[in-house]
Amino acid sequence: MPAANRSVRAVFGALLALALAAQSALAAPSGPPVRIGSTLALTGPLAATGLVHKIVGEIYVEELNRKNGLLGRPVEWVLKDDQSRPDLARTLYEQLITVDKVDLIMGPYATANILSAMGVAQRYNKVLIHHTFGTPSLAKYDMQFPAGGLAGDPDNTIPKLVFDALAASAKPPKSVAVVTSKFPSVHFISLGARDAAKKRGLREVAFLEWDFGNRDFGPIAARLKDAKPDFVWVGGLGLEGNLLIDAMRKIDYMPPLHFHLFPAPGPLLKAAGGENALAATTFEEHPPFTDNPVAVEFIRLYHERGAKAGLPDTSVENQSAISYSSWQTLEAAVTGARSLDDKAIAQWLKKNPVDAIVGRLRWDGPFNYIYGTDLYKVKQNQKGKWVIVWPKEFAAPGARLITP
Amino acid sequence: MRGRALAGFAAAGLGLSAVPFFGPPAFYESFLYLVFHWIVLAVSWNILSGYSGYFSFGHGAFFGAGMYTTATLATKAGVPFLWTLPLAALVAAAFGIALGALVFRLPRLRGELFALLTLAVTFVLATIVLNTPIDGGPGLYLSAVPLLAIGPSPSSTFYLLGLALALATLWIAREIQRSKLGTGLFAIHDDEDVAEVLGVPTYRYKLAAFGVSCGLAGVAGGIQAMFISYVTVGETFSIAVPLNVVLMSVLGGSRHWFGPAVGAAAVTALLYAFTAGDYAVAGHAAVGLILIIVILFLPEGIFGELIGALKRRRVPATPAIDAAGLPAPAAAGPGKSEGPALLEARGLSKAFRGVQALAGVDLEVRRGEILGLVGPNGSGKSTLINVVSGHFRPDSGRILFEGRDLAALEAHRIARTGIARTYQIPRPFAHLSVLENVALPAMFGRDAQARPDAEREARRWLAFTGLAAKAMSLPGELNLHQRKFLELARALASRPGLLLLDEVFSGLTHAEIDDAIRLIREIRARGATIVFVEHVIRAVMELTDRIVVLSYGRVIAEGDPRVVMREPDVVAAYLGKPRA
Amino acid sequence: MALPSLTLLGQSLLSGLFIGALYGLLGLGLSLSWGMLRQINLAHFALAFLGAYLTYQLAGAGMDPLATLAVVMPCFFALGVLMHWLLARFSVSAFNSLLVSFGFTAIIEALIQWIWTADFRRMESAYGEVKFRVGALYVALPELLTLAMAVALSLLVWAWLRHTYTGKAMRAIAEDAPMAAAFGVDVRGLSLLLSGLSAAFAGVAGLCLALSYTLAPGQIYAWLGVVFAAVMLGGLGNPLGPLVAGIVIGVSEALTMAFTAPAWAPLVSFSLLIVVLLARPGRI
Repeated sequence: MPAANRSVRAVFGALLALALAAQSALAAPSGPPVRIGSTLALTGPLAATGLVHKIVGEIYVEELNRKNGLLGRPVEWVLKDDQSRPDLARTLYEQLITVDKVDLIMGPYATANILSAMGVAQRYNKVLIHHTFGTPSLAKYDMQFPAGGLAGDPDNTIPKLVFDALAASAKPPKSVAVVTSKFPSVHFISLGARDAAKKRGLREVAFLEWDFGNRDFGPIAARLKDAKPDFVWVGGLGLEGNLLIDAMRKIDYMPPLHFHLFPAPGPLLKAAGGENALAATTFEEHPPFTDNPVAVEFIRLYHERGAKAGLPDTSVENQSAISYSSWQTLEAAVTGARSLDDKAIAQWLKKNPVDAIVGRLRWDGPFNYIYGTDLYKVKQNQKGKWVIVWPKEFAAPGARLITP
Repeated sequence: MRGRALAGFAAAGLGLSAVPFFGPPAFYESFLYLVFHWIVLAVSWNILSGYSGYFSFGHGAFFGAGMYTTATLATKAGVPFLWTLPLAALVAAAFGIALGALVFRLPRLRGELFALLTLAVTFVLATIVLNTPIDGGPGLYLSAVPLLAIGPSPSSTFYLLGLALALATLWIAREIQRSKLGTGLFAIHDDEDVAEVLGVPTYRYKLAAFGVSCGLAGVAGGIQAMFISYVTVGETFSIAVPLNVVLMSVLGGSRHWFGPAVGAAAVTALLYAFTAGDYAVAGHAAVGLILIIVILFLPEGIFGELIGALKRRRVPATPAIDAAGLPAPAAAGPGKSEGPALLEARGLSKAFRGVQALAGVDLEVRRGEILGLVGPNGSGKSTLINVVSGHFRPDSGRILFEGRDLAALEAHRIARTGIARTYQIPRPFAHLSVLENVALPAMFGRDAQARPDAEREARRWLAFTGLAAKAMSLPGELNLHQRKFLELARALASRPGLLLLDEVFSGLTHAEIDDAIRLIREIRARGATIVFVEHVIRAVMELTDRIVVLSYGRVIAEGDPRVVMREPDVVAAYLGKPRA
Repeated sequence: MALPSLTLLGQSLLSGLFIGALYGLLGLGLSLSWGMLRQINLAHFALAFLGAYLTYQLAGAGMDPLATLAVVMPCFFALGVLMHWLLARFSVSAFNSLLVSFGFTAIIEALIQWIWTADFRRMESAYGEVKFRVGALYVALPELLTLAMAVALSLLVWAWLRHTYTGKAMRAIAEDAPMAAAFGVDVRGLSLLLSGLSAAFAGVAGLCLALSYTLAPGQIYAWLGVVFAAVMLGGLGNPLGPLVAGIVIGVSEALTMAFTAPAWAPLVSFSLLIVVLLARPGRI
């Protein structure tokens, strides 16, 4: 009988220890909050995507606080509206750092604003994790970390991605037209596309650039129709791609294949004439991305919050995914460096990759950029849903690039 | 007065420049830099558009020109940042002056057409910059350009640069407002044609104001290029700059040099008041609501209302000045019809789109006489006055004044020769006080007096015409009689040798006519030569030495009034031929 | 640069014509209230977009887009009357009205973003699918409707101002309001009427925007510059002005885009505008 008592006590003790351990692991974060400051374009021309990033940030911070917070402390996100203006972004980051005295900062939305924030970060030696910086050649600060999956040479990697996908398809195009906005973050990638097409022996039948304030895409559509390309590369920003498609439909023309660089994904899905359009992305709501339980949970929460915020399209795709990945990066770095010190965080990031929902992010290249390869894939609008079609390892099960 | 202001500026400058050295958070320095930046843009815009009424929608073009000058020179030519600033000013000013030189020559390009032109220029410049190697698309990146450490930190440096430029701009605006240039610009605002005829060199003044305005905007652009460190066409030439400067100036009050600064500070502060992430959209609406409420209840602008209230509070001190001290007008010598010819018109013709107003008029005006110009409506009397005073150029013919051909002179120079006129429907400068109205011709006329002397002269003429008590009033507060006398005082203030009166008696009561007749006799007694156009026959009979009768643009009779008015041709011209 | 085909030329001309018509339609109300009531109504653009969003919303609920005018126009007419009443009550000058209308623009823009978010909205309608072929050229029905409405409204207003008593009274008010009042013209009533009409026209422009374009609140400012240009070029208060000027601008831009690098388009249209201003005595 004494042996049985001992073993019962042992089991009991073990169970108790386990319960206690579990309870401390599930303890709510406590102590003074870790304050993370950033701005987003909540009003102004960039507000549509700004809202996406706001929702993602809120989701992430809530999740953090439901678990262990950061280093056991609760997290508070201090968010300000930079109204899509770089000069406002600059001063607001200065406010966050010097007046609100936040512990860490997070990047804003879009290239010009990120550049402003980067300047401030540099002056105060703060680490800056960002997601939507479109001109890597301008990032000359060694404590900035891009978490958007873009390479340091997107004018090389994105065209390579797209043309590889086309070459592997059932009917590779022989002629190509490149039409692009002159907006900085789009223009140089489109020029890269021209080079890539030329190197692969494709015939360029049209090259047109428009002023980003352009409203009338009729003549451009007409010129495309005249040129009869097999494939059109559309370097449009925001709703320009939609306007071009509208214009082409009006004259009863649709190119056999077209790729859009940075479209507004929801509207392009729904646009009559958007069928089989191609675009670039780091994430879509299908395997292998949905094999990751973290991603699945995020998708669920995003659908919920997006609907509540009135978003017309609540599926997780590129913008929301890279936003989430930037927060994942921040959490991983702080936890990994076990510190809120910017230098420590930066050093940790330079040496350690992070497995985010968009893939493995690493920063061991010049100015923390990787050259020659990125995390982007090609997706296609198939029957009203975005489906990744290239590279094959990331394609939706059974999906292929539909050619005319 | 100016010494006090200079001291005030210096004190403000010194006081504010000390701020960075107290180590405030950088945000406040950057925020204040932005306030200074918008002060410069709004105040500089106001120098042309607020003062003279030439509403420019293109301030963004000159701001952008400065921005790109600095960005290009600093990044492509390695010019040190501070040296690019005067070059930015020069490029922007040169651009503005070139545009103005072309545009200000065309009298029809006023009002909204000028606004349109300046807006179009912005688009043109933006497209050129976008499509040429100046930018070409990718934008210019200035992060590698070294910033001279003027203050303890980069934000302090911008703060100090912004402060210096804002103070300089405010000082310049103040100086202009108080100078002859300013008075001329305000006159142009109210009635450019009259201003020109009174001697204001409108073309030159507008050009000067435009050049200064653009130059200042250029420097502001240059500094801003370094502040945001990434210059793209879209951000630089957006509708934001031209729109905001208008809003700020109107909000603050555009008739005073300090008004736009108040508006700039208010709007910039409003922008930051609502940046919290949670109510961004509502904040945007709140800003709009605040703007509406402010301008509805403070129509002169925040500062404008303040100044207005202060002015009304002050009791105007009217020094007792009587007409006795009035100097005699030029060309003394009261000889009547036998005097030499002061003005000669030979074969003067003027047509307006098919209507021949003057068809070869020959007449002469003798020194010291009172000449009446009569004729039925449409005979060309007012046109003749307009042509002689410089309002219109004659199509053909010559006008000799004291032997000099007037037709070759620019309108504002005619005033300097000693000719003045009144308008049939009084055209005072509506926003200038009665005193300022009368002082203006003294400042711009033949004698070109300094302001204090001109104002003293003006007061004497106001006493002469019985308007001394109304010196501080606005013309809108006067009745017709008083406004006519204001016209008279204004015409006299430049001490003309020849005075042209256009129906000065119309609309006056019997007693008022007596008053006016007495006044005109006194004016002639002081040695002026007077030509007056009139329908009131009593005045013609009582005052004139000679009359000339016009009909359909030609002289049909001249001579003694009593004799001429009975000639059958003259009667026929007025009344038609009697039916047989 | 190869010479463009005739089809390209023709199609571009049409494209410029149609967008010019939209400029004209957007500018009509603005020109009337600026020219006749001395109110520079920036909020006209925001109103047009509000109308566009309302059309989008109602069409989404099943209403025929053209029928939405029956709802939108009266509501906007009332809004226009209200706006003018406010401006008249406070005797707001021309430049001050710019500020007040800017305030309204900010409020309306915020309202739009609050209700519909900043995301892009595209109204898909049966009209959007219909195209006509004229030879080798295509004409889409929404564009044709825009042109038709722009021409119709401009001509109607022109005829009204020219030939009816109230129209002539309106012109009198524009020239000299106190004098017109002295002659028995109901200045207040007619001014309210005109303001209401201008706002209603904004609603019509909104319908055309919704039929042909993707909507976003930030787009309000994209049309400001070019429509202002069309309004000023066409002559304030001239009902045919914005349409003609708008078409001139639209066609010159379109032809540039057909012949050369499209990014040069604004240069050509606005240089042309400058030349016209400098050379012509007066306006179009």
